Amino acid sequence: MPSALYRPHGFAVNGYSMNKEPWSNKNADVCIRCATCMAICPVSRVTPLFPGPKQAGPGAERFRRPDDPPVDQWIDLCIGCHLCDMVCSSGVNISELNLIAKTKYLDEKGRPFRDWILSQIHLFSWFGSLFSHVANRLLRSPIIKWMLDSLFSIDRRRELPLYQSPTFRQWFRGNPTKGNRKIAYFYGCYTNTNEVDVGKATVQVLEANDFEVFLPPQRCCGIPMLSNGDFEGARRLGLWNIPPLLHTIRSGSDIVFSSTSCGHMIKHEYSHLLSIPGAEEVAKHLFDIFDFLRNLKENDGLNTKFKALSLKTAYFAPCHLRSLGIGLPAFEILRLIPGLQVDPIDADCCGLGGTFGFKKEKYEISQEIGKDLAEAIDGLKPEIVLSDCEGCRMQIRHLTGLKVLHPIQILRDALIFSKTE
Amino acid sequence: MHYDIIIIGMGLSGLMAAKTAVEMGKKVLIVGKGVGSLSLFSNTIDVLGSISNKMTLIDILSQWIKDHPKHPYAKVGLREMDQALSSFTSLFPPPYSFQTIGDGNWLIPTGVGTLRPTYLIPSTMVPGSSLKEGNGLIIGFKGFKDFYASWVAQQLKCRGFTLSLRDVFRQEITATALSRLIEKKGFRERMGREIRKHLKAETCVGLPALLGMNDPCSAKKDLEELIGAQVFEIPVLPPSIPGMRMFNRFKIWLIQRGVTFLLGYSVSKAILEKRRCEGIEVLHPPISTSYSSDRYILATGRFIGGGLKANEEKIFEPIFNLPVFQPKSREEWFQKSFLSDSPHPIHQAGILTDPSFRAVDEKGEWILENVWIAGSILSHHHWVDEKSREGIEITTGYMAAKQALKYEARGAGHAV
Amino acid sequence: MKLQTEVLIVGGGATGVGIARDLSLRGIPSLLIEKGDLLSGASGRNHGLFHSGGRYAVSDREAARECIAENRILRRIAPHCIEETDGLFLCLSEDGIEFRDRFLRACEEVEIPAIPLSRDETLSLEPELNPDLLSAVKVPDGAVDPFKLVLENARDAGTHGAEFLLHTEVKSLILDGNRVAGAMAIDLLHGEEYSIDASYLINATGAWANQFLKFAGLEISMALSKGSMLVTNQRLNQRVINRCRPPSDGDIIVPNETVSILGTTSIRSEEVENFEVTPSEVSLLVKEATKMIPAVRESRFIRAYAGIRPLFQSEEKGEDRAISRGFVLIDHGKRDGLKNLITITGGKLVTYRLMAEKASDLICQKMGIEVAGSTHLTPLPRIVGRLGLKDRLKKIGPSVSIDGREILCDCELIEREEVENILREGKLKDLQDILHRARLAKGTCQGGFCVYRLLGVLNDLKRVEGDPNRILEGFLEERWKGIRPVLWGTAIKEEELSESIYKGIFNLTPTHPSPLEGKG
Repeated sequence: MPSALYRPHGFAVNGYSMNKEPWSNKNADVCIRCATCMAICPVSRVTPLFPGPKQAGPGAERFRRPDDPPVDQWIDLCIGCHLCDMVCSSGVNISELNLIAKTKYLDEKGRPFRDWILSQIHLFSWFGSLFSHVANRLLRSPIIKWMLDSLFSIDRRRELPLYQSPTFRQWFRGNPTKGNRKIAYFYGCYTNTNEVDVGKATVQVLEANDFEVFLPPQRCCGIPMLSNGDFEGARRLGLWNIPPLLHTIRSGSDIVFSSTSCGHMIKHEYSHLLSIPGAEEVAKHLFDIFDFLRNLKENDGLNTKFKALSLKTAYFAPCHLRSLGIGLPAFEILRLIPGLQVDPIDADCCGLGGTFGFKKEKYEISQEIGKDLAEAIDGLKPEIVLSDCEGCRMQIRHLTGLKVLHPIQILRDALIFSKTE
Repeated sequence: MHYDIIIIGMGLSGLMAAKTAVEMGKKVLIVGKGVGSLSLFSNTIDVLGSISNKMTLIDILSQWIKDHPKHPYAKVGLREMDQALSSFTSLFPPPYSFQTIGDGNWLIPTGVGTLRPTYLIPSTMVPGSSLKEGNGLIIGFKGFKDFYASWVAQQLKCRGFTLSLRDVFRQEITATALSRLIEKKGFRERMGREIRKHLKAETCVGLPALLGMNDPCSAKKDLEELIGAQVFEIPVLPPSIPGMRMFNRFKIWLIQRGVTFLLGYSVSKAILEKRRCEGIEVLHPPISTSYSSDRYILATGRFIGGGLKANEEKIFEPIFNLPVFQPKSREEWFQKSFLSDSPHPIHQAGILTDPSFRAVDEKGEWILENVWIAGSILSHHHWVDEKSREGIEITTGYMAAKQALKYEARGAGHAV
Repeated sequence: MKLQTEVLIVGGGATGVGIARDLSLRGIPSLLIEKGDLLSGASGRNHGLFHSGGRYAVSDREAARECIAENRILRRIAPHCIEETDGLFLCLSEDGIEFRDRFLRACEEVEIPAIPLSRDETLSLEPELNPDLLSAVKVPDGAVDPFKLVLENARDAGTHGAEFLLHTEVKSLILDGNRVAGAMAIDLLHGEEYSIDASYLINATGAWANQFLKFAGLEISMALSKGSMLVTNQRLNQRVINRCRPPSDGDIIVPNETVSILGTTSIRSEEVENFEVTPSEVSLLVKEATKMIPAVRESRFIRAYAGIRPLFQSEEKGEDRAISRGFVLIDHGKRDGLKNLITITGGKLVTYRLMAEKASDLICQKMGIEVAGSTHLTPLPRIVGRLGLKDRLKKIGPSVSIDGREILCDCELIEREEVENILREGKLKDLQDILHRARLAKGTCQGGFCVYRLLGVLNDLKRVEGDPNRILEGFLEERWKGIRPVLWGTAIKEEELSESIYKGIFNLTPTHPSPLEGKG
């Protein structure tokens, strides 16, 4: 149920005029203060600086008035994991209240330049990939990291994602697929320039299921901007992305994604939060890759000619996957691979939160949250950890040093293909 | 997507129903908008608390069932109740196991220093039952505002002390944060040493129920070694850490066995045809996903969970629109006094079912032949006053699943 | 114990406390006794509306003039007790424009600044209003915190020599021939008896006026009227919203910090103490308010409460007795032959200062001294400034620490330190006293969580008299009175939660053997 929203820079919503916040946040009204959200919030568990979802969301909402300047400087400690929303039996969409309050706060107080950098990474990516040797050396260099830390407050302890060359798109151009049905693939910027094999694996698995894959025109989905409170910027990207995707589905093809963060953004936030025309229609035909494969299996259309993989793995469900409301399809499909041991990891949030964990003032919080995940992984002693979100993969590598893959890469390996590089 | 059984509601009754169905080898979907009462109550298992401790529980239950033929326990039956409770306890192997005290109820201390009768308690609470005048030390934490040691101690005629660990945390600390700290060895050592300093001749030490979400027994053991006395947990205001332990255990167990576990979504619509439910829709804007099954269990709880809703005039059930047995008017829902001796009539309200746990109309006929009702949403019980909440949830969850899985659809209108 | 004073004031509402302050500023010693806590009567159970007088402009010019004059004075002397929200009088399509025009003319006559607004202007100020409105008139209404106002008056009176005895009840009057010479009183909490000598006695007991006058064998012609109010969980409007029509039930919505208050009704009552909000009043208030703000229908209510107003009959309003249409000042010496006893009753919260001034003038006249009142000029000292909502919001987050800055009430953001300050200040006897002053238990959960914490804190500070469990029970029962009338929708969930905590987790009223008896 869309709540009445604050729009930065004031564009009209629901017939209300600009710069005026309509006063009907009904969702906050139904909070009964049961504190269940407090039981699950990863941030309030590790730092007292964040008062917790109950206070930060519906609690503070009673004190926020449209004409008052925002004072809730702790609001940007909300990591945006949506776990509070999921356990709230009253249906308060707490993380949305937090995001809107954060946006209002940053609009008023100004956004640090660093936030702009972090949310515009896709602008530098092609460059980083083109000169990947140089770029990677710089990104690994302690001096550069020190500079980023001092100038932009990007914590030097964080391992920065490295670039790969050629990009996924370039690889795809040289490796067209064949199949009886067509399917579109929204690969996401990270896959394109930083983790190309995930894209390759997705395409290879789809081809093994008799699909011809094509790539509709696409740009960054905009989630780094949204989570940094830049509704305007995210919306612009959405307005660019939806028309080609709309065209795709109207021509009869479904679309799959392999990054659960991108998927969640397009499937839910584009229509619900950003009101992008056409997004609702696209959402109906947009699927997580494993959800898609699971549907194939339901209809006996899944290629299950797996070879045995004798591996001990552990699977971590990203927050955005949980927010998709499709269960854990990757886990369900992987269990079909003979010899493969997949243990679900009993932990809630990896702590990276997209751009959250790169920020100097939040790095330690991010790591502290991650410690719980690291302990849970340690208890299982896997050889490989699997997760559908690039952020989670980065964080798990950073925390444990283990090999971390997207489940689609394992699935590809089981379908009699070349091993993962 | 099609399932053997769909369970709506992720509280204790839904989770037990899911466990039961999984053990019978079925493909299960469980969908729920929250964790049910697990995060809110003290999560010991109450079966029937409102009775004196002089009789065995079996005898009392037999009498109870005779006296209350419409009560959920009457529909479950003694033997199945026993099986259901065993199924529950089997999910918690030692060291964090649920224990009984012979055949009656434990009496365990509460956050206001009273004693509460309950049937099954986790091992971390057991030493609290042997608390007597003078043999206990109650410990609180400055900054944790949901537990007051001196209050509890005064009522229980023991000593109480509030630890002030300024070097570790200077601000307010939430239940989950403190619980997490207690999971760290360093903090435990600090805490243990402090408590030891204040211990006199006492043999047991009571703490708020925060011994860690993941491995409370190790925390307990460590502390006992450091302090030199037994340690026990006392349930506090929500959020309940013991409750979340229970939820997490169910969650991982079910996921490991391939259950589709949809936490955070509510059923927006039930697709009904004649007297059958053909599917449910789960709305996650803007997508509405459909799931189908031949069997559905409604275990959505009471008002907190949204299983029952009340407008100014009446109480209704929002998913299947089942008739709700209820007092005639809103004026009669609640007594004039909050803590009155007789229970509030609204607690008896709920879905009326036959012994197979299917909802029935005034004529006693099934309204929907393939929907079974479990948990606190059932009518004819006063769980607050009876102290029977978890017992009803566990046993009816178990039975509803068993009943549902006996059902084979043989074309429309035929039911087993 | 024997006590002595010049003026004995009976009744701790706005009027009584106002008189104590006025007299104290004139250098006249007084002692105020009140059988409960301050603001036990209508002063603590009203709408919190800071009248501009607009509501009376058409029907009662005098009353309206009084209101706007006092409105201006109070803004000067007590700005920290008032939220200057402004008010709107709405003309809905069913009201028509005719009354509005009369209203504007009447306001002009009595000098209430009234500005007509178009439909669009009105909706841009308050987008939550019924779009079906025709127009509105803006007036200088506001929202007042009666507790703060009266407590500040009391504090200032105390600084200037006035004395207070709370939880103390008059048992009988001391008479000396045809003259009142004092009263016998008893401390209801500790049983101590007082014999108070006073030269003058002021009956400022409001609705209890006749009950008190029984001690003197007197009676005034008075009736009681109950007014009920509903409190929403969230603040729906920024300005006071009124209906632009002849005054009727349910046509005012007053915003108050984090909530909005719907009101009110007027139902004849026989009882001055045992009354409750009835379901039909609840339905009426919801229905009428929904006409002005449609969101009210779906809104969540956290509490209902009622107050009893004293309504005096016309016989009392003779020229030599009535100072105004709004209130009544009776000199029992003239009326009944019993000297040195005066009764002051009626009026609105907004005119308390004027009432106190008139009563004090009368006392000075009787004393034969000429000291003018100065309450219209002397501001109430700002001990604790009024915290706006955003300042309260600043309390959470990094500034919270265990040295007193813990938040006890999550809903209303009240800190432990605030409670400790209150305890340090006064001789508080009752949990409810603390709740009134600390403003705890006024938010969403209505004390479901915070009162437990408060009792824990008080217990740690060794300030609890008696068994905290029994006090908690008493609090829950009191709270129930306010909650029961609005139990549907989300409020029922909150109720289920409180029952599960207090009867479930805590087993507050155990039905099994006590801890000291045998165990299982």
